[in-house]
Amino acid sequence: MPDQFSMLVYSFLGLPLAALVLFNLFGKRVMTKFYMPVGMGICLVQMLSAIVSLVLLSQYNKDAITFSQFWNYQLYEGASYFSPDTFSFLSLLCIGLVGLVTFLVAYPVLPDRRFQFCNVTLVLLLGMNGIALVYDLFSLYVFMEVTALSAFVLIALYRDAKGLEGSFKYLMMSAIASAFILTGLALIFLNTGSLQYDVVQAYLANWQNGPNPVLTQIGFIMLMSGFSIKAGVAPFHGWLPDAYQSAPAPVSIILGGIVTKMAGVYAIIRLVGEWLPGSSVVNVAFMFLGLLSIVLGAMSAIGSTDFKRVLAFSSISQIGYIVLGISSGSPLGFVGAVFHFFNHSVFKSTLFVNSAAVEMQTKTTLIDKLGGLHKQMPVTGTSNILAFLSTAGIPPLAGFWSKLLIIIAVWQAHGGVVAGVALFASIFTAVYFLMVQRKVFFGPCREEWKDVQEAKFSIRLASVLLSCITVGVGCVFPWILRFLGAQGWI
Amino acid sequence: MSPFTIVALTAALLLIFSGLYLLLKTHNMLRIIIAIEIVMKAITLLLVFAGLMNGKMALTQAFIITVILVEVVVAVVAAGVAINLYRHNGDMEISRLNKLNG
Repeated sequence: MPDQFSMLVYSFLGLPLAALVLFNLFGKRVMTKFYMPVGMGICLVQMLSAIVSLVLLSQYNKDAITFSQFWNYQLYEGASYFSPDTFSFLSLLCIGLVGLVTFLVAYPVLPDRRFQFCNVTLVLLLGMNGIALVYDLFSLYVFMEVTALSAFVLIALYRDAKGLEGSFKYLMMSAIASAFILTGLALIFLNTGSLQYDVVQAYLANWQNGPNPVLTQIGFIMLMSGFSIKAGVAPFHGWLPDAYQSAPAPVSIILGGIVTKMAGVYAIIRLVGEWLPGSSVVNVAFMFLGLLSIVLGAMSAIGSTDFKRVLAFSSISQIGYIVLGISSGSPLGFVGAVFHFFNHSVFKSTLFVNSAAVEMQTKTTLIDKLGGLHKQMPVTGTSNILAFLSTAGIPPLAGFWSKLLIIIAVWQAHGGVVAGVALFASIFTAVYFLMVQRKVFFGPCREEWKDVQEAKFSIRLASVLLSCITVGVGCVFPWILRFLGAQGWI
Repeated sequence: MSPFTIVALTAALLLIFSGLYLLLKTHNMLRIIIAIEIVMKAITLLLVFAGLMNGKMALTQAFIITVILVEVVVAVVAAGVAINLYRHNGDMEISRLNKLNG
């Protein structure tokens, strides 16, 4: 691989760090003017580098690009380094996309807090990029904490009672999750002597014959519970709707779009999907977690009266599909879960962008108060229904293909009943989303919303961009599948 | 495994669970933050003994210093949120955190 291209990977951590230093060097007055070009530029460069790296990886038939940012990792034994592979670059692409959309929406929505918002969001991007890049579990934990801490600050950006409450709930659950994760890491570290991915993977493949199998078992269970809390999988999901609902609109986009997935689901995909694909006990446990998330999320969404809360419960339900795909243990389920990861970050960002547009124009997100906004806000309404249909899995939109892959893989692994429940819950998704769509956008227009204007240009641009990606990926998906089959991944 | 390490690991695990018990039992935000700190201290102890058992002391030292740093930042952010909630609510009671529903 040519050296000048492999330099691209340094931009993932270097650019947000450099921008952070610049921002605080020149101060608030100067940098408030430049926040749009800087933030959007970083996200665009990140998307571009991720796409170029993906192309290079497939072109040169490499598994991963290994590098370290400011130190020489070959000199010291056990030094941590970065080694992103295909899945890492795909998640870096998602981070760049959702970050771009967040900056676009934040410009009109948060006019008075631009400087603070941009500062903390850059730390958030840095933390998520770190999660995708690292090659050992301890660095993964550190970057997870960076991500979670900046998320707490962002939720409580306006220091109002609701935001602080959501932030405090998230903080407590996240602190408990960190305690679980660190305990698990300590118990695994006790046996392996290193937390590098390949060492842990080799150890977990044959843990019964290693030293202290009981401690390893406890450690692995604690690690998995910690990641499940961070991901918001069903029995551990209590904090998630509160955090999403109370956050300012642009923060909800980045939280729902990518933060919970990078902080929890990414690690679950790595550990269970990549390292323990054949373990039947772990797979059955995650199958039940996934099914519970799907059903509970869909049921709670039907009973919610707040637009953003419906979207939050729908997030739990969709994360359940990702976990269910992982639990099948087959390459098909893994590919389906990774694609649902990508699709979910696209359509959930679209939905949160639209809720931000509605909230900005009408100052409320309560479904019962809204009604008949489609005539006044045609762009928002149309992109909203596209995203809803993609979430519910209607062909030919992108969400259909990933759900199809997941349900086929689950049928092969766990039998028809589990796949049937997943399919039935997918119909529930369509039910609650069509209910919301009918109450908010369709129907007769209410008196008080007669003069509502369409959302600002940058918000419209964001939702049109994301809708185009949903439709486009859905239309070219058969070719993507053919490419994956040719590579031998399915 | 020597008796010393068994006792030490049991002590660290007990300290973790006592911290989690305090976390479940109390209704005061400040005490919750203290409980989290207790749990993190216990985990630091656990990491020390993990390093003792596998002999990788240099790596363990790096881990422990990083964990201490992270836990301080978590405590600062948690205290900031709790102080702001105190200004809104007038006390540190967590049962007042019931404004979000729907």
